[in-house]
This record gives sequence, structure tokens and C-alpha cells, in this order.
Amino acid sequence: MTLYKHEMKQNSKGFLIWTLCVGLTCLGCILLYSSLENSVKDMADSFSNMGSVSTALGMDKMSLATLRGYYATEIAMMHNLLGAMFAAILGTGLLSKEEAGHTSEFLYTLPIRREWVVFQKYLAFLSNILLFNLICAGMYLLGFLYMGEEINGKEMALFHFATSLMQIEIGTVCFLVSAFVKRNLTGAGLGISIMLFAADMMCRILPAIENLKYVTPFYYSNAADIFTEGRLNGAMLAIGAGITIVSFLIALFRYRSKDLTP
Amino acid sequence: MENKEPAIEIKNLTKKYGKHRGVINLSLKVERGDIFGFLGPNGAGKSTTIRSLLGLIAFWEGRASILGMDVKSRQKDILKEVGYMPSEAMFYPSMKAGDIIRFAADIRGLDCKKEASMLCERLGVDLHKRIDELSLGNRKKISIVCAMQHKPKLFIFDEPTSGLDPLMQAEFFKLILEYNKQGAACFLSSHVLSEIKTYCRHAAIIREGQLICTDTVENLTKTNAKRIHMIKDGKEENFVYKGDLDKLFAGFFGHHIEDITIEEPQLDEIFMHYYEEGQK
Ligand SMILES: Nc1ncnc2c1ncn2[C@@H]1O[C@H](COP(=O)(O)OP(=O)(O)OP(=O)(O)O)[C@@H](O)[C@H]1O
Ligand SMILES: [Mg+2]
Repeated sequence: MTLYKHEMKQNSKGFLIWTLCVGLTCLGCILLYSSLENSVKDMADSFSNMGSVSTALGMDKMSLATLRGYYATEIAMMHNLLGAMFAAILGTGLLSKEEAGHTSEFLYTLPIRREWVVFQKYLAFLSNILLFNLICAGMYLLGFLYMGEEINGKEMALFHFATSLMQIEIGTVCFLVSAFVKRNLTGAGLGISIMLFAADMMCRILPAIENLKYVTPFYYSNAADIFTEGRLNGAMLAIGAGITIVSFLIALFRYRSKDLTP
Repeated sequence: MENKEPAIEIKNLTKKYGKHRGVINLSLKVERGDIFGFLGPNGAGKSTTIRSLLGLIAFWEGRASILGMDVKSRQKDILKEVGYMPSEAMFYPSMKAGDIIRFAADIRGLDCKKEASMLCERLGVDLHKRIDELSLGNRKKISIVCAMQHKPKLFIFDEPTSGLDPLMQAEFFKLILEYNKQGAACFLSSHVLSEIKTYCRHAAIIREGQLICTDTVENLTKTNAKRIHMIKDGKEENFVYKGDLDKLFAGFFGHHIEDITIEEPQLDEIFMHYYEEGQK
């Protein structure tokens, strides 16, 4: 597991920056709620009656009049998007950074199987995503405690489980893309996550593209859905898990016989 | 005896990058205990050959084996016995030199502290400097330590001396000769003819992806070509002459030769002739 440790160390700076930035931003927004509360409460009704905009943001299901509703519609959405972007950056860079940084000739001429390299790197990616979500969730819980809000542990756990899976799915798809190219495609990875995020909002409004919900993992990690239904969408999660596993296997297979030239 | 198989054996290796030529139908053999030079102009296919041997790039035609092991099926076992130094000495920029060297040993699952500290001492590696603070030559030294610390049976070096100062080049070859005495073979690509002549026993010359010749360095540099410098009919002439000297002298008949020197050609002149042949 030398490479796993190495990979964690290499990622540690980026990890800390992202985790603190996302965690503190969202925590800040939670703490801001008390100052918004009065004005928001008055507007909560009108927010839930804005037609498709309310639908896209889940405000037809949850009311902004409670911190719980505010969390499910605003904070969770922010966490979803930023988390997905973090996962995309990690996923695209995981393998391709060795080639982009010209270290592939050093790493891959050490006696270590390529499959094992891919596996350990992927494990480091999973650890990063899980730690990121754990730390952020912990910060949000502290925010709730500070605000004196009652915490529904089950729905919080379900949401953070779903969002972690969503991030892993996006990161793995980016990982797959990166196995086919030489350059570091951070930009493309970010593009993928933002497009999938937008796809989720659109497919909720436009019946014509409703089927996009099977494609975008943001659909099953939507906190407003999870909070109102009190459970996860099993079918969607299964599709997501399937996409993740298949992407990983294709990436692994492709990487085994990839030409590594500096 | 386990040392029977050649250190490197390549049979009809062909590697194409899409439509582009990499190497074509290359066959080569490096015996155990040899120091073998691999020469060729830029883009000839030296690095391509080396990367194919190490499994960094895949090839579909031909076979190759290292220390008797097939390079495709036993890559990991081969890499355990090989010390490789790439032409670009690049490492993780935020790591310290010492950490890189330890990382390489850890991945090998070996404790190479003793050998590594001896090498660092002799090459003057500063273990506490970060990689992004080091010059090319100093990164090359780290590369040398990583290639040598586990005392491999075979060294593969891709242009090892580029970027090293003359003192370090000498120390580097001294190290190779020491390991070679203990039985290690060495395969190195180079543009520097004099170092091939000084240190290698065998050499191969490659041009445009094809092997031109492989022989002992002695035979390769032995030639009947002569450098002729003379003043003929008041005109100065300076050229390399290859072939029958009688014919050359017969051509002088009826001319006035004021002065003539005939000497062995320079080493590069011999090799230029290998490089350029067929290009005309
Ligand atoms: N990744 C690649 N894609 C396409 N063509 C390549 C690639 N790598 C090398 N080539 C081509 O293969 C040929 C051999 O290149 P190689 O790097 O093996 O040369 P070399 O002998 O090591 O040269 P140099 O002395 O400059 O290092 C060159 O003509 C080069 O253009
Ligand atoms: Mg080269």
C-alpha cells in the first residue's frame, strides 16, 4: 500500500483546501439562516409558487420557512455541485497526472503491476471522497446544533450517503475519460459535472427530457426528494452503481495496455 | 547455470505509433556481463526500443526477453531485476529527494538504505532539497540512485549522461564499471561517441527505426578509411578516403603534391558514415 499512502499525501493539500472551502461555505450559509429567517419566512410561500423554478430547486416540496427545508434545497444543492466538481478534478487527474507530470516512466518502471497501481490510486480517490463528505457532514451537524435545530439523523445519513455515491460516480466517469487521453482534462471533468447538474434541474421541468433522470446521478442525490420521501430511490442508485463499476472496469482494462509515453 | 540466457534478446521487434514508424524489425542481443551501447541520431527509435522492453508501450510484432523472461508476460519479475533511468529525470515536484529514493525502495519492498547512502555520497545528492528546487543534472543524480540502489542484474539507461557535468559523468561510469565487475549488464543509449568507445564492449547503431549494424566497439571503430589532408597543385584538400590506397596514389600521377598527411579518422567521422549511409 505504499502507493496508496503516497497518493493520499500527494492529494492532501488539494483535499484540505476543498474540504475547508466547501465545508466552511456551506456552514456559513447554515449559520446565516437566522438572519434570513424572518425575511425568508414571508417569502417562503411565493418561493414555492414560482412554477418550474421551484420545481427545479425542489422548493415545491420543501419550504424555505424551516432550516430543514433551507438545508435540503439550498445547502445540499451547493454541496452536491461542489462535491461533484471536487470528484471530477480528482478523477480526471488520478491517472493522467503521471503522464502530464512526466512521472509515468518513473512510476511504471518500478516492479508494480499496472492493475495494482490503478487499484491503489482508485482507493485513494474513494478515501478522499468519503473523508470529504464525512468532514463536511460533521460541520453541517455542528451548524444545526449551534442553531438549536432538531436533527433527523436518518435523512441526513441517507442524503450524505447518496451524495457520496453521486460524487464517486462522477469521479469514476472522469477517471474513465482520463484513461483514454494523454493530457490532464480537468476542464472537461468540471464540464461533465456541471452538465449533469444542469441535466438534473432540466429533466425535472421538461417532460420531454424526463428520461435524463436515469443518466444524471444528481437525480438520486437530490436532498429535497430524499427528505420528503424519507428513503433513497433504489432503482436510480442501482443504475448509478452499475455505471460506476462498469466505468471503473473499462478504465482498468484500457489502462492495462495503454502506451505510456512522456 | 542460471546466467545462460542473454541479458536482453529482441527478435524482429516492430512498433508503430499509428501510421508513424517507431522501430522496424529490430533484432538485438546483449549478453550477460556486457556493457552495450545503443547509438543513433535523434528520432531513430532508441527510446522506443527501450520503452518496449520495459513494457511502457505495447508492441504487436516480434518478441523480446530480458534475463530469459518474456517482456510481456513477466513484466513485474523483469522490473525487479532492472535498474532503469529515463532520459527525462522527472519526479513528483513537491517531494524531497530522499523521499523519492525511499519511495522507489519501498515499492520494491526492499531496504536499500546502505547502498543508497553510498550512492548519494558519491554523487553528491542533497537529500533534503525538494525536486522542484533541483536542476536537471541534480534530478539525473536522483534517477541514478533510484536505478542503482537495489543492485539490479541489468541496467537500462536512456541517454544517461546528458545534463551531467564531466566529473559526474566520470563518477557515473565508474559506478557502472564497479557493478559490471559484480556481474551486472548494462544497456545504454547515447549520442556521445567517445563514451561508447571508452566504456562499451559492444554497440549497435540504429537509424530511422532500423538496426544498421551491431558488433564489438573495436570492430565498429576499426576501418580502412583515412583522413587525408594535402596540398595538391597549390590547392588545399581535406577529405575522408575509404578504399584502396593504391588507387588514390595512382590519381596523383601528373599532379604536384606539395604536402600530405594521412591519419586515422576521428571517431565521429566513422559514425557519421554509419548515420548518413543510405540517406543519399
Ligand atoms: N508517442 C509517440 N507518438 C508518435 N510518434 C512517436 C511517439 N514517440 C516517438 N515517436 C516517433 O518514433 C520515432 C522514434 O522515436 P524515439 O523517441 O524512439 O527516438 P530516439 O532514438 O530516442 O531519439 P532521441 O535521440 O531524440 O531521444 C520518432 O520518429 C518519433 O517521431
Ligand atoms: Mg530518446
